[in-house]
Amino acid sequence: MDGASTSQILQYLITGITIGSIYAMVAIGFNIIYNVTDIINFAQGEFVMLGGMSMVLFHVILGIPIIIAFLFTIILVTLVGLIVDRFAIRPIRQPSVLTLIIATIAVSILLKGIAMFAWGKDPLDLPAFSGRTPIQLFGAVIQPQYLWVIGLLVVTVLILTFFFEKTIIGKAMRACADNPDAASLVGINVKKMIMLSFSLSAGIGAIAGIVITPISLMEYDRGAMLAIKGFSAVILGGLGSFPGAIVGGLLIGIIESLGAGLISSGYKDAFALIVLLGVLFFKPSGLLGNIEISKIKRF
Amino acid sequence: MLKISKLNAYYDTIPALKGISIDVPKGKIVSIIGANGAGKSTLLKVISGLVQSKNGQIVYQGNNIANLSPDKIVRYGIAQVPEGRQIFIHLSVKDNIHLGAFLYYKRRNKNDINNRIKHVYEMFPILEKRSQQIAGTLSGGEQQMLAIARALMCKPELLLLDEPSMGIAPIIVQEILAVIKQLNKSGTTILLVEQNAKAALEIANHSYVLENGEIALEGLAQELINNPKVKKAYLGG
Ligand SMILES: Nc1ncnc2c1ncn2[C@@H]1O[C@H](COP(=O)(O)OP(=O)(O)OP(=O)(O)O)[C@@H](O)[C@H]1O
Ligand SMILES: [Mg+2]
Repeated sequence: MDGASTSQILQYLITGITIGSIYAMVAIGFNIIYNVTDIINFAQGEFVMLGGMSMVLFHVILGIPIIIAFLFTIILVTLVGLIVDRFAIRPIRQPSVLTLIIATIAVSILLKGIAMFAWGKDPLDLPAFSGRTPIQLFGAVIQPQYLWVIGLLVVTVLILTFFFEKTIIGKAMRACADNPDAASLVGINVKKMIMLSFSLSAGIGAIAGIVITPISLMEYDRGAMLAIKGFSAVILGGLGSFPGAIVGGLLIGIIESLGAGLISSGYKDAFALIVLLGVLFFKPSGLLGNIEISKIKRF
Repeated sequence: MLKISKLNAYYDTIPALKGISIDVPKGKIVSIIGANGAGKSTLLKVISGLVQSKNGQIVYQGNNIANLSPDKIVRYGIAQVPEGRQIFIHLSVKDNIHLGAFLYYKRRNKNDINNRIKHVYEMFPILEKRSQQIAGTLSGGEQQMLAIARALMCKPELLLLDEPSMGIAPIIVQEILAVIKQLNKSGTTILLVEQNAKAALEIANHSYVLENGEIALEGLAQELINNPKVKKAYLGG
């Protein structure tokens, strides 16, 4: 436990930020749906899983070039998100938040089952985007794929920020999050915005799944663990907060990586849960979920 | 322009509107007064589609619009300024106003939308000063102006106003009433719901008194002002 060198710590940090970027993407997906609907979408992890698995299908199995396979995967999973809303969420009459959340649990079980049939139970691998020759940095090792993960988080965040701040559809989604009745009074179709939120979350989940698979492989039942980590990030950052999702995701990733390295890798998956419980006990509004901030800005 | 006949509405099984019939002629200001819980807001929400009605008809310019969804009803040119403002509190004043034009938000309408924004800023200059501010941090009076400005962005032919004077200082109430009159002069038909019966009767052509979900009285606004019953119950004797 003692004697961890600086380069080792650096290594844990880099790994932590990488895996944390994935959790941040999952957390952003949770928040987009939560802000528009008040639902915690338990199928968020399955979107990530489907992203990885579909990418393997298109790129490895069908041999489609990587960029096109990437686009196909995002389109496919986005469609899955749309279908989930259309056939599992919208048909529920007189929905309460609880029934809707239960519906998302059912969806997650269903998607997992379908993935098991389609791809089998073995973990699947995807070639790294830029090979697997590590880069050395002050004694730490950086896989090129790590840079892809972090870079895609940055790009995703930039695009989403532009979308929510500058485009009328993005603003309309924020308006629905604020006040659905008032949004419908200016002509916004709230149901369409909910559908869009599911599609968007699914698409972001797909990106996370595609980019993490070369690092940690992907299998049909990975969704639940990713969802738990992403959800911990959401709670740590503050439910509904967009910056909170990023901070929360990166922190969970770093805590997990440092914890596994310095304490015990056997407890790797426990750290996120400990953080989750700790936040719920001591500061349920999360780091950036301070009431004042959340009044001013939710996305 | 708007003709409502024998309209009923329920919250679960509790009736909120019982056989309401009202008529809003084009170019007029019609006001509805009544005590708390009389069903005034429910009536406006039924017109704008937020609350469903049972039997009865809502005919707007020849179309039955009863029970269409709110986002469809706005397309007919009916805008509602809801009770308690209901602005988008996390968005900037400017974004609130832009969203008012959501239905027309196409590149080719850009000039038209900019002109409308100019127009509502002329009407409420304070909003232009506050345009970058987050709407939730506006004062109550400013929020009410924003709610009206947002509704005007879709160029409504019929404007439904639910208690625009609620919780606002008398001087601002006067300002808002002046705007309503001015809008009416430039051709917008107005259906105004008010607790402030005096203001509502002074400004309107025709008025209805709503009691327990039913029309208790109706008539020319000037006549109702002098009606002893109205005086006693709504104008403080
Ligand atoms: N969402 C709701 N669910 C159940 N009952 C409701 C709901 N909204 C209103 N009501 C009931 O319907 C009746 C009419 O309410 P409404 O809001 O239309 O009154 P109002 O005339 O606008 O009153 P106020 O002047 O206080 O705004 C009231 O008895 C109210 O309690
Ligand atoms: Mg009311």
